[in-house]
Amino acid sequence: MSVKYAMLGILAEKDLHGYELKSSFDEKVGEFWSLNYGQIYSTLDRLEKEDLVTHDRQVQDKRPDRKIYSITKKGRKELDEWLAAPINRVRALRDEFFIKLVFTGTDNPGPVLDLIEKQKALYLRQMNHLTHQKIALKKKAKDPAALTTELLMDAGLFHAEADIKWLTLCEAKIKATLVKK
Amino acid sequence: MIELKHASKKYQQGGREVHALRDVSLNIRKGEFLSVMGPSGSGKSTLLNLIGGLDQPTSGEIFIDGRPLHGISDDELTLIRRRRVGFIFQFFNLLPILSAVENVSLPILLEGTPFSEIRPKAVALLEQMGLGERVEHRPEQLSGGEMQRVAICRALISNPAVLLADEPTGNLDSHTSEEIFLLLKSLNEQGQTIVMVTHDPKAAAYGTRIITLKDGALSEDISIGGK
Repeated sequence: MSVKYAMLGILAEKDLHGYELKSSFDEKVGEFWSLNYGQIYSTLDRLEKEDLVTHDRQVQDKRPDRKIYSITKKGRKELDEWLAAPINRVRALRDEFFIKLVFTGTDNPGPVLDLIEKQKALYLRQMNHLTHQKIALKKKAKDPAALTTELLMDAGLFHAEADIKWLTLCEAKIKATLVKK
Repeated sequence: MIELKHASKKYQQGGREVHALRDVSLNIRKGEFLSVMGPSGSGKSTLLNLIGGLDQPTSGEIFIDGRPLHGISDDELTLIRRRRVGFIFQFFNLLPILSAVENVSLPILLEGTPFSEIRPKAVALLEQMGLGERVEHRPEQLSGGEMQRVAICRALISNPAVLLADEPTGNLDSHTSEEIFLLLKSLNEQGQTIVMVTHDPKAAAYGTRIITLKDGALSEDISIGGK
């Protein structure tokens, strides 16, 4: 769903061809969200069908023509509406780890506790990495777009922190059940 | 630079023996920013107290710059603590009746050096931390972030070999916390060795190395590539 709006958001700044669109997407949110060219082009096709985006053909020497995409008036209106509306639902608990927890079961807690510990260490490692990337970004960049990237990195850190806290609680509750038995 | 060899700490609590630290061996290198993670009761404060010379191990050895911290007299320990170690705490621990510059100077005043001699260095540190306008303010006239920066200056006044931090932002909001961590990070980049205990993963992530304690023993050791 949001891929659509991310594309519209990028095209609202500047007309771009597919390759540039992907680079811009990667630069803005690539740290959290990876898209392949297939997803980019299929989204663009869909946006064209909905009249939210249009394209011009650019003729190139010795190479196939390329399509330069731009946002339509209708597209800009839809983007503005989307930007102004708060999000209705909280993050889905469709985390892969959650599914693992359901199927590992807590009757024999050894493997679950092992898994929780490994998962926590992994999240912590990622937070460590992300924090140092953020520090590096803060040092070099003074352009306004860097703030958005920094805020996204902060969101990533807060989410990972919540996951670690939740896992720590899982650990404590599973251990407490063991003691009772 | 700081070396723990099979350090253990036991103490009595309400007639019960508590094994706060179990056989921890750890080598903290010069220039490292070490985060020590673990839930309450995991032994992380005990570890910090041993490194800071506030407490001695029941068994095992601890060295700071090659000098033993175990089996020495309380007076010797006090001297090492004052000259080699700087502390910062969750509640800043500033003296309310002293100004910022007096608080910063305190560790050296206690050694008998006159205030007039220490003052220029204390002011320079405060200026370096962006507190040039706050030199004569008392703690109650400062924000939480400013108080912690004053406390960092106080910890640095004696050029300590290691800066020890115990949940340094436990009492601050997220944005102010980040400013404190960036400050610690830049001190670390200038070569300051830092050991910080925290239960907050966001705080720990600023370290160049993160260890996790579990029931008094070392359970994870994460090091960031390069530095």
